[in-house]
Amino acid sequence: MSIRQMIRFPGRSGLGLVALGIPVVMFVFLGFTAPNFATVQNYANVNAQIAALLLVALGQMIVAVSGGIDLSVGSVLSLTSAIIVSVDPALAVPAALMAGLCVGLVNGIGVTVFAVHPLIMTLASMTFLQGLALLILPVPGGDVPDYLEALVRFTFLGLPAAFYWCVLAVVATWVLTSRTRFGLRIFAVGANDLNAARNGVNVTMQRITCYVLCSFGGVLAGLFLSARVASAEPTMGVQYGLESVTAIALGGVLLAGGIGSVPGVIAGTVALGLMTNGMNLIGVSPFIRAAATGLLLLSAVSLQPRKTIGA
Amino acid sequence: MTMTTRAFSSRPGATDALRFVLNLPFAYLGTALLLLFAYFTRPMLLSPLLLLLIVRQAAPLGIAVIGQSVCMRVLSLDLSIGGVIVAVSYILTSGALPYPPPVLIAICILFGLVVGLANAFFITRLRASSVIVTLAMAMILSGVVISLGQFYAPGDAPEVLKFIGQKRIGIVPIALLVWLALLIPFALFLRFSVFGRYVDAIGSNPNAAWVSGIPYIRVLTVVHVMSSLFAVASGLLLVGFVGVGSMDIGSDLALNSLAAVILGGVTFGSGKGGVLGPAVAAFMLTFSFNLLTSLGLGEPGKLMLQGAIIAVAAMAYAVRMQRT
Amino acid sequence: MSKDTEQAVSGPEKASPGRTLVEFAGISKRFGSTAALTEVSLRGGHGSVHAVTGENGAGKSTLMNLLAGVHRPDGGTLRLRGDAVTLGSPQDARRHGISTIFQELTLLPNLTVAENMFLGREPLRFGLIDRRAMRRAAQAALDRLDSRISPDTYCADLSVGEQQMVEIAKGIAAEAEIFILDEPTAALNAPEVEKLARLIAQLRAQGKLIFYISHRLDEIFRFCDVVSVLKDGKHVATHPTQELDHERLVALMVGREIGTLYPERRPQPTKRQPRLVVEALAPSAFGCAVSFRLSVGEILGLAGLEGQGQRAIIRALAGIEPPSAGTVSKAGRKSGDVEHLPASIVATARAGVGFIPEDRKIEGLYLPLSIRQNVALGMLRDQSIWQRARISGNAIEQLLAKMRVVSAGSGQAVGALSGGNQQKVMIGRWLASGVDVLLIEEPTRGVDVGAKAEIYGLLREFADAGGAVLITSSELTEVLGLCDRILAVRGGALVAEFTGTEATEEQVMHAALTGGIEQEAVA
Repeated sequence: MSIRQMIRFPGRSGLGLVALGIPVVMFVFLGFTAPNFATVQNYANVNAQIAALLLVALGQMIVAVSGGIDLSVGSVLSLTSAIIVSVDPALAVPAALMAGLCVGLVNGIGVTVFAVHPLIMTLASMTFLQGLALLILPVPGGDVPDYLEALVRFTFLGLPAAFYWCVLAVVATWVLTSRTRFGLRIFAVGANDLNAARNGVNVTMQRITCYVLCSFGGVLAGLFLSARVASAEPTMGVQYGLESVTAIALGGVLLAGGIGSVPGVIAGTVALGLMTNGMNLIGVSPFIRAAATGLLLLSAVSLQPRKTIGA
Repeated sequence: MTMTTRAFSSRPGATDALRFVLNLPFAYLGTALLLLFAYFTRPMLLSPLLLLLIVRQAAPLGIAVIGQSVCMRVLSLDLSIGGVIVAVSYILTSGALPYPPPVLIAICILFGLVVGLANAFFITRLRASSVIVTLAMAMILSGVVISLGQFYAPGDAPEVLKFIGQKRIGIVPIALLVWLALLIPFALFLRFSVFGRYVDAIGSNPNAAWVSGIPYIRVLTVVHVMSSLFAVASGLLLVGFVGVGSMDIGSDLALNSLAAVILGGVTFGSGKGGVLGPAVAAFMLTFSFNLLTSLGLGEPGKLMLQGAIIAVAAMAYAVRMQRT
Repeated sequence: MSKDTEQAVSGPEKASPGRTLVEFAGISKRFGSTAALTEVSLRGGHGSVHAVTGENGAGKSTLMNLLAGVHRPDGGTLRLRGDAVTLGSPQDARRHGISTIFQELTLLPNLTVAENMFLGREPLRFGLIDRRAMRRAAQAALDRLDSRISPDTYCADLSVGEQQMVEIAKGIAAEAEIFILDEPTAALNAPEVEKLARLIAQLRAQGKLIFYISHRLDEIFRFCDVVSVLKDGKHVATHPTQELDHERLVALMVGREIGTLYPERRPQPTKRQPRLVVEALAPSAFGCAVSFRLSVGEILGLAGLEGQGQRAIIRALAGIEPPSAGTVSKAGRKSGDVEHLPASIVATARAGVGFIPEDRKIEGLYLPLSIRQNVALGMLRDQSIWQRARISGNAIEQLLAKMRVVSAGSGQAVGALSGGNQQKVMIGRWLASGVDVLLIEEPTRGVDVGAKAEIYGLLREFADAGGAVLITSSELTEVLGLCDRILAVRGGALVAEFTGTEATEEQVMHAALTGGIEQEAVA
């Protein structure tokens, strides 16, 4: 009858030619142009570089699919870094997770119970937490607990630890989003929260949990990154909030909610990671790289269909 | 006579007054409380001279806030302000462009126009989220400027700007006069123009504004261009005030302006909001940062305060809207 | 409904009146200061289709929302199978065997049919969703409805009628005994209505209780055994439908006989001056191009079943959904003064064409703003954004008084007004703006009968004063009563033209159902 019915709904993964094509094109391009790109050492580097971003982006995807956004996750990363060198080593991980839980709860409650726009809410907590991280640890340094360093330094079957952590995070998120009740309901909430509620989904709890999970992503990335560089830095995560949004947007996750997938996030993260790596190899200034990420973000969000104009 | 006494003594009158105060923008009550707190802890901050200094310091923020408040009233946001200011500072002070100050200022204004148009293009035509677009814009601008800094480092501000930013007439800082000279005409414009009416309409129901043929895209474009131009003005004043350009000048202005707008009583989706509230809030924020510094809390405290203010004020307004 | 299904359902259930399944006993509900329901008592039994009707705002949706667990009553008792129950949430209601099919369907487009049917109570196996069990149960429920929809289809790919089917299947899968259908035919085309009729008959035959909320009289008489009428939140009467006819039911709903709902039409001049000339306009959602003229002084109606393209045509004309091809030209007040309209809503409004959308709360009014501000915005139509707003407060007050807008003063927020008064403000905004063409979608949706007559009067007056009005309406009686000329729309094409005074419901319906494309050439 109408045209709408002739074009079939492509499913809720958001995977398309663009999402999957960009990393492939970049890989091929860099393989031909960048010196030292196609080396085992460089692949290991790329993997380590994108591992933290992947952890953050997976969390960001969960929030985005539910129809929200979390800009504060970068500050959670920084805060984690500050916390683990400032408390007793045995308490480092629990303390960081506890902080992540609190941040997620506050963000989630602000967005759901108080109905604050998620961008404004998480922008506020991003700023607050950055301040808190600087308060706890004014200057970079400190000793990262040895057991954390051991957890990210090993190699197994010739593959670095980062690879295994990535696989673990990916599998866990995939099972969560595509095989559990919680996962199915995130998609429902993201598509239409009112209708999800009418079908018996507890939208408030669902949303709050998404923000908590996203914060946990930030915590894990903070643990990983601090352990890898064996030092803490209170501004370590500054760019991760927007970079994770860029990565998921590139990976076909709809920022308006309801569409997205783990493979898409991997593709988006790899694309962004390859871009950074390529610019590194070619010797571009890190600040131009930031500008390039901004451009990439701009184009990724511009390609997404949205009905509303404004925030 | 009896009428007035009755009205005065009856309880509804008292609760009405309380409700009136509670319905004012938080900035008014907040400023009053802050001044009271300062009176007991740091009375020296309340000397007229120091207060005027703080007002002068608040002027760049106050000017940026004007643009931000209009953005927010049409349900958009502009977080590229920081990027614009860094670029303005670079154009003015680096000497990369060998022109006299008036030409440089004209270039800055042109630059603001271009950034505003670019923001508006992405937000209205491509319908991308304004927060993301303007944050990305800030990233791009500061990234480019910092990279360019390798070739020409920012330096001294032009004398004319230093004069405007630092000097005073009598005891009144020129910066304050500049602020008022921008604020008052703009407030009148918003109050009486067709444009102002359209801003209210779009803010209260964007779909209806679209369907009823209000030039929605044009209004939003104008709003974003205005916001960028106010950011340029704010940058000119700030560079003059500080005296030298730098790579992180005005970097906190975007968030502070957002905080001030929310504190000043402009909220998403109500179609309401004035210009005075955000202006008072700009003063309040600047005053509170000074108070924090005098209490020995540095950058971290400032950031935490900013974040807390935005979150708490936004939540409080949400609660207030749900009640009514 | 076909003959045999009717016989199938008039079996044992009809002979012996069903046991009482649901009883509302003295139910009251307030929202703030307004009483939505006052001591309503109703019963519904197994195997019956129970219509709940009344004017807009009579409380029928509120009553059903209490049963659906959306709201909780302030007073009175709700009994299910004889036991008093409290339904705290929609899930609660579902657990008690109540399935609600809301007017706005609740399916999620990005979930499959099976996922939608089990959302909120997904079957688990080892803590994970048991997709196979879910699929099987969904298939079983669809089979019981003789539906050919696959459980793996995404709901984004279903038509509105199919979605409704899935909603009903959802109730079946949940073993519901009570179905609430809220205005179920609002978005259905004729074959889909037939299908719904069969579904309802099936449910009744299975001993279910169906509450059918509607104010469409013909459907009530066609589908329902019993009808309960609410008015102003009070229960007026409950009668078997056989004992009533249209007029008596309307009298119960309105509480008075309606006089003349529609204003008198002026005799049609043989040659009318065209105001809008639409040529080969092709709305982007439909392939067909339509051509017609809208004349000075006329009210023209686009009639047809919902979703047949009326909305697409009027929206393409207004420039909201720009058409893929075609031209619209508008003649000014002076003869020979012809303007070509670009396909943009801003340009259309500037040229003096006002558009009133069907959903005034979402697309029409600025609810937080005052009545005065809402109307004043119309006056700004031909002013530049940079100039000082020229608004005449007096003119606004006069207009509001003339339109008889009932409010606590023109400073009141529009959101606080009733549907009828909101619609008047909506029309008032365009009247204040001085446009000479009005494009109106569903001019009286959600408007009570009293205000309807006034709105018809306003539109007629506008046309008589030299304006031109184009409406779309899914209420055939409205089109027949109000319009001077009627264009029947089917599948995006104009299939027939009628004169308002001569057309009958049957003729228009026939054209809307079966009209062929070959008749497209309508002047």
